[in-house]
Amino acid sequence: MDLDAWIVQLKRCEPLKEAQVKLLCERAIEILVEEGNVQHIEAPVTICGDIHGQFYDLMELFKVGGDCPKTNYLFMGDFVDRGFHSVETFLLLLTLKVRYPDRMFLIRGNHESRQITQVYGFYDECLRKYGSANVWRYCTDVFDYLSLAALIDNSVFCVHGGLSPGIASLDQIRGIDRKQEVPHEGPMCDLLWSDPEEGVDGWGLSPRGAGFLFGPEITTQFCQTNNVDLIARAHQLVMEGYKTMFDSKLVTVWSAPNYCFRCGNVAAILSFDEALEQEFRVFEAAEGEARGVPGKQAAPDYFL
Amino acid sequence: MTLGSDDSLYPIAVLIDELRNEDPALRLNSVRRLRTIALALGEERTRRELIPFLNENSDDEDEILLAMAAELGGFVSLVGGPEHAQVLLLPLETLATVDETVVRDRAAESLIAVASAMPVPALVEFFVPALQRLAGKEWTARVSATRLFTPTYARCPPEHRPDLLRAFLALTKDETPMVRRAAAQALGDFAQVVEPEPLSAELLPAFLQLTRDDQDSVRLIAVEACGPLAKVLPREAVYEHVLPVLQHFALDKSWRVRYNVAQQLPALAEVLGGEATRAELLPAFLLPPVKELAGDGNQYVRAALASVVLELAPVVGKASGDIPLGGRECSDAATIEHLLPVFLSLLKDEWAEARLNIIGKLDQVNQVIGVDLLAQSLLPAIKELAEDRNWRVRLAIISHIPLLAGQLGADFFEQKLGQQCMRWLQDTVFSVREAATNNLRSLAQEFGADWAREHVLALAGHQNYLYRITVLAAVSSLAAVVPRDTLCNAMLPTVVERAKDRVPNVRFNAAQLLERLAGLVDPPVVDQVIKPVLAELAADRDADVRFFATHALAACDDLAAMA
Repeated sequence: MDLDAWIVQLKRCEPLKEAQVKLLCERAIEILVEEGNVQHIEAPVTICGDIHGQFYDLMELFKVGGDCPKTNYLFMGDFVDRGFHSVETFLLLLTLKVRYPDRMFLIRGNHESRQITQVYGFYDECLRKYGSANVWRYCTDVFDYLSLAALIDNSVFCVHGGLSPGIASLDQIRGIDRKQEVPHEGPMCDLLWSDPEEGVDGWGLSPRGAGFLFGPEITTQFCQTNNVDLIARAHQLVMEGYKTMFDSKLVTVWSAPNYCFRCGNVAAILSFDEALEQEFRVFEAAEGEARGVPGKQAAPDYFL
Repeated sequence: MTLGSDDSLYPIAVLIDELRNEDPALRLNSVRRLRTIALALGEERTRRELIPFLNENSDDEDEILLAMAAELGGFVSLVGGPEHAQVLLLPLETLATVDETVVRDRAAESLIAVASAMPVPALVEFFVPALQRLAGKEWTARVSATRLFTPTYARCPPEHRPDLLRAFLALTKDETPMVRRAAAQALGDFAQVVEPEPLSAELLPAFLQLTRDDQDSVRLIAVEACGPLAKVLPREAVYEHVLPVLQHFALDKSWRVRYNVAQQLPALAEVLGGEATRAELLPAFLLPPVKELAGDGNQYVRAALASVVLELAPVVGKASGDIPLGGRECSDAATIEHLLPVFLSLLKDEWAEARLNIIGKLDQVNQVIGVDLLAQSLLPAIKELAEDRNWRVRLAIISHIPLLAGQLGADFFEQKLGQQCMRWLQDTVFSVREAATNNLRSLAQEFGADWAREHVLALAGHQNYLYRITVLAAVSSLAAVVPRDTLCNAMLPTVVERAKDRVPNVRFNAAQLLERLAGLVDPPVVDQVIKPVLAELAADRDADVRFFATHALAACDDLAAMA
């Protein structure tokens, strides 16, 4: 397994062979199984939101944030679906994880799921690029081992979606058996699906049909109980790339510029230095030619 | 088409069979290997059997037709050489008529290749009639025909030329806009081979008519003939007809036409600038459209102008150079009077691409207007760009800094842009920092090592690890160009310090850098300073630090072994 060579190859947007993917995923599971449901991370680290298979925009992200392992990264889920290059995107991130387990951290998003990827593109892409669903199976097996959340220096709580009425303390997250497909309801589902909402008193119903809406009091209460200063999450498109809410107790980071090649948004990453000083870096979509969007094809159904 | 019972030809027989297979993938594979089939069949059977077969099967999928069109272009030797080349015309003629543009274009290219191999009598006997047929068939064929006139006309005996010219002129007036567009596209090249008299009397009017076409897509392409026409027309005709067209188009209601006007400017300036007697008129003809385009409402037009406007500077300068005052001051004066306002307005353009295109040609401004004026007029604009919120703009300007530094001289540069170079090292965007560190090497070569050393090492205590890593990258970039004692006494201690950094990323970057420095310092320094540090790092609590330190130690040992 020549990981350095695989990284170089994947950065050219050339996928690995099926047998190599199998090896990579087996090795990744060995590493991920050792990580906690709430993975502890030491600052400095740069955190990133949804990528959604926008491979060339991920390259743009690294141009702005610096290459791994020079810069430490935490990606907060939704690596796959919707974009044209979910396979290359996820395999690159996973190869970096296996090569530099202490420099690269990946937590699970609601799209890291068998059911969702069969509807929103990753399954089709694997089938198209490999001629069988094997690679999709290897990757979705890895998804089950991804951490559900991360905690930076005991003071920044990172999660893909948000909070859950079933979870008051971090220890309750630590008690979940995460090695399974994302359930339709319950705490594990909520962490990956919930959204913050101004003006919601307590918990509200989510229009997504999974997870909940949560307001400022819930956020303040969670931060106090767990002695954290900030909740960082992804999951929602923000036109400016990032958005702070609830008296700066919560921040949404979105890292897919011009989402689905049509939303016109910019993207952001948030870097914490060793003193946890925050700095947002905003970036735009990669140049048209570099991105290699297949020209004549009609947009697939799962586009917005 | 069958082969005998010779077993060695079995693979060819399979290919021939597959030409008729129901599966398009197999047919495509077979078409791509037409050369092999033709070689196996021999020249005679290729002419008598393969070519007619292909001709009957030209109703296939586009991808297969495209492959066929491409293959046939290289078939002259396979059908028996130039004297038999005409057998290829029929299938290519058919392919040049199909609906799919890509196939037609490829077929036209192959037709040109085949024509160029044909001897003149065969060209007249077979190719000219084929061209005339194409020019009279449906519009797709007429589009293909427009491209074939230039190579044919050039080789035809004079008595056949008037007919060809007439046929071409008819296509410029075709009822289908697509055909007129193709004719407009071909006109610039065709003008290069037509004799002066018909050029002025017949082709020029046809061009002028195309420039008045009511379809903007036709006008848009007609503009592109301005430069090529200016090259071959008498000067009088250029001033009388071509320049007014350009001036008129600078005001066209379609931005794509105005965009093409901008791109024609250098060619025209080049052609006309060489002629001294009328050169003084040039600014009067050329500058109005330039000024018009500089204020264009469309950003792409301004960006296109920005990428070419500096090429006008020598011409404009020269045009005024014939006034008795003479000399460089005068040409500078003309450039500054006419073009500097345009440069400056484009340098402040709200559209980043326009600004970048101007910066990309900054060395040309410098040649024309000199350092002092550059400093006065352009430095403020450069400083503004250096802080542009688009990081690609910052990156682009960094790449021009060594050039500027060389022109401005050490003191002046340090005073005006030295601080800026340091700010780039602390840019929030990694790629900008990376470019800034790479820049240091050329700056150090320009200004000496002290300059870079003082500035860079000051950053080594930055509170953010990413910038401390930048310092290491800067040392790495400078290492090869600074004197060895600067390296050992000033830079190496900083690197050793960073090897004790509390952030692992800084430590393993230091280890990687030490590996590189080991090759640049004396062996005792490697043994006494570098290896002990690496040995400590090889026992670090962080796995990546251990990995890179161990790697570096091994490299040091290899180095010692080689010595």
